Amino acid sequence: MKNFLSILLLFFITWASSAQITINGSVTDKSGNPISGANVYLEGTYDGSSTTEDGLFSFETTETGTQTLVISALAYEPHYEMGDVSYFKNLKIQMVEAINQLTGVTLTAGTFEAGDNSKVSVLKPLDIVTTAGAAGDFVAALQTLPGTTTVNEDGRLFVRGGSAGETQVFIDGLRVFQPFNATTNNIPTRGRFSPFLFKGITFSTGGYSAEYGQALSSVLLLNITDVPDQEKTDISAMTVGGGVGHTEIWGDESLSINTQYINLAPYESLIPSTQGMRWNSPYESISGEAVFRSKGERSMFKLYTGFNYANFDIEQEDINFDEFVRFRLKNNNLYFNSSYKYFFENNWTLGVGGSVSWDTNDIGVLENTIDARETASHVKLKAKKMFNSKFSLNLGTELFNVNYDETFETPDAFQFDNNFDDALWAGFVEADIFFNNDFAMKLGGRLENSTVLNEFTISPRLSLAYKGGEFSQFSLAYGDFYQNPLTESLKFDQTLGPEKTSHYILNYQYLNNGKTFRVEGYYKDYDDLVKFDSELPQFDSQFSNLGGGYAAGLDMFWRDNKSIRNLDYWISYSYLDTERDFRDFRERATPNFAPKHNFSLVTKYWVEDLRSQVGLSYNFASGRPYDDPNTPEFLAERTKTFNNLSLNWAYLIDQQKILYFSVNNVLSFNNVSNYQYSNAPNADGFFDRRAITPPADSFFFVGFFWTISDDKKSNQLDNL
Amino acid sequence: MKTKILTVVVIFLSSITLLAQDQYTKGMTKALSFWEEGKIVEASNLFERIAMAEEDNWIPYYYVAQVNTTASFGEKDETKLRQQLDRAKEFVDIAKKISPDNPELIVQEAMINTAWMAFDGATYGPTLAGKNTQLYAKALQMAPSNPRVVYSKASWDMGSARYFGKDTAPYCKDVERALKLFATFENDTPFYPSWGEDSAKKELEQCKG
Repeated sequence: MKNFLSILLLFFITWASSAQITINGSVTDKSGNPISGANVYLEGTYDGSSTTEDGLFSFETTETGTQTLVISALAYEPHYEMGDVSYFKNLKIQMVEAINQLTGVTLTAGTFEAGDNSKVSVLKPLDIVTTAGAAGDFVAALQTLPGTTTVNEDGRLFVRGGSAGETQVFIDGLRVFQPFNATTNNIPTRGRFSPFLFKGITFSTGGYSAEYGQALSSVLLLNITDVPDQEKTDISAMTVGGGVGHTEIWGDESLSINTQYINLAPYESLIPSTQGMRWNSPYESISGEAVFRSKGERSMFKLYTGFNYANFDIEQEDINFDEFVRFRLKNNNLYFNSSYKYFFENNWTLGVGGSVSWDTNDIGVLENTIDARETASHVKLKAKKMFNSKFSLNLGTELFNVNYDETFETPDAFQFDNNFDDALWAGFVEADIFFNNDFAMKLGGRLENSTVLNEFTISPRLSLAYKGGEFSQFSLAYGDFYQNPLTESLKFDQTLGPEKTSHYILNYQYLNNGKTFRVEGYYKDYDDLVKFDSELPQFDSQFSNLGGGYAAGLDMFWRDNKSIRNLDYWISYSYLDTERDFRDFRERATPNFAPKHNFSLVTKYWVEDLRSQVGLSYNFASGRPYDDPNTPEFLAERTKTFNNLSLNWAYLIDQQKILYFSVNNVLSFNNVSNYQYSNAPNADGFFDRRAITPPADSFFFVGFFWTISDDKKSNQLDNL
Repeated sequence: MKTKILTVVVIFLSSITLLAQDQYTKGMTKALSFWEEGKIVEASNLFERIAMAEEDNWIPYYYVAQVNTTASFGEKDETKLRQQLDRAKEFVDIAKKISPDNPELIVQEAMINTAWMAFDGATYGPTLAGKNTQLYAKALQMAPSNPRVVYSKASWDMGSARYFGKDTAPYCKDVERALKLFATFENDTPFYPSWGEDSAKKELEQCKG
């Protein structure tokens, strides 16, 4: 018995104090610099240690046999050594840098992002909507970024010498066919979407991914919030209308609804717009949006629906008519957008989605009526594979369908019908390659075929980024972009080919502690632009693809929200040199929408004592080209400069109630966007003209916003 | 005789288990002392090693998250802050998988958000403030008498009330209640979170002062 006990005891002692082995070595990065604080341990045991300042480690273990030594350090890929513990001596471990999406190099040429947590974000969602002069329209806030030109009377995005039709809008990667409210000449439009539904907004002014096509100049990408933060009800009362919104959450599912009624009549009766127009029935709209989201273990489903009904009746001055010209419009727009994403275990992500829109316009111009119906859809299938943190592949295929039908009728019953059907197929593939944290490349291509145009196009896309310093990087981008002719021409002539641009972009950016500086130079080559031989496209026009042109320029952006306490400001400047021959141009010239110099200053100051945010925006644009038929030159004249100073003030009455005031163009600059000349000369052989000015110089806005939520804390400051 | 052998074997076996438990206790104690000495990296690394070896125990994961979160308050270097808070989030997420519906982990998650907001309120406040409110509400629903939940929520509510110049008195009452709960709170799990009482006392002093 004693023997047995002693054996047991002996065994126990040996077991407890079994031969200790020392494991030691050093940890460095690729260039041999020591890494301190790395965690070095035997997998599945407590045995391990942290490296010292010199990158050295040493610890003892009682483990034997084949083991795995793990070396992990922040910002490096984990390193594994397998072997017999007795061999883990004087190890020299070289760690490989982990690719860091947030602090590493980013592919940013041409893009501006607005998001919460992204390094490349130049704007936050809050900025989008608290910009003075934007009046809650997020597109207007984007117009304070460089690369856009001030085309105040239109309201859409004019990017780098491109017309408004060259920018496309996508929600969750699916096309929005009518992103802007229907309107008429000289009455600026607004984006249809409320910005607070989106978690991220990417505004690309050129050189964008092969996933997007059918946009010559620019894409605006909106991503719907996956999971709303909380249940709440929003109520707003404004001088121009009111709205109600509600978000309900059930576990992983949620529904947000937003409705709005806008009527300009009360405002117009108080402060009538008088310059060159009068309302018969001011702008009125009813709109609703709903988003349903369902989040699964590995999947995400989103359904967005938007409905908009708008109606107005206006009379506008026209040099060729003694009386004002009447224009009336009724627009109905219904839009669905649905997407489903599944994340597979093997790092594949599959996405499938579709969007469809029904848009009808009942238009009356003078005594004529136009009845237009458009049904358009987009379906997309997309797959992405992350092979590792350095290489990922993105590929997909998509189909666009447009069915357009329009009936033009004169009072004497002359009727003219235009319609077309187009199906456009596209396929794309693109690779993201991160060579290291300093150098990255995006390389891809896109193939398109349209049934109407029956022509295959191939668009290569390339983007390179090199991080030159801790806070700065250079980027280069090149791409070819094709777009089908606009409906206004395509409805009359389906033998036209697609229009084309090539972008060449060089970008430098510096980001450090709340300061952002970007400068981007670009050259854009336009080819095959559509031309026609009448002032506006019409059924008997001769169409061709013989146009072309170029745009070259320099965009600069500076933002600083740290240097002065409570003050946040940004400055944009764009220089634009462009000429093009398109539409009814008789020669190459700078179009009216392309002023040479554009400048914006946006400031926001938080006054803590008043619990108020005070904002001020100033926009400047040099004179816009216009054509004077009294001179032999074409589009050689320039209007006077454009100036606009806007103010806003948001006052937090308490956590949940906000009072908001804003004044657009507070100094009442008389801005002229263009001149309209009479079709025929007067008795002296001279063409008379009239200035095209905004309907009113200034615009006032007062709103009250109230949020009701369980926590009594959220408010609509980010909705303004 | 047989019983004797059996006894010895039982003792031997239990000493192994004891030893194993001891290893955990020893490791955790050592890591906690590293933390007390301000050796953040060593503490975090040791908690991480323990976590990796004790895959079904949420406690060491919780501590990796906590060490990295508390070290982030006052951190000015954004790169370092991001690394620490990303690590904290990673470990709290794993811990939540091991122990779902755990109020301590929800409070920990909210603390990570608070660290972000403390670093840059203008950037992270608008998105994370709402999330935190939701998290605290959820934690309170799960564990209405957990002193850390009651205290953290009160402290959060008080912060925003102060910001808007509102009365903080109702939240002072919550802190008082939390202090009572601290006195009676018990949990048998070794190394179960136990922080909060001291800061609650300070908070209450501020209320009175």
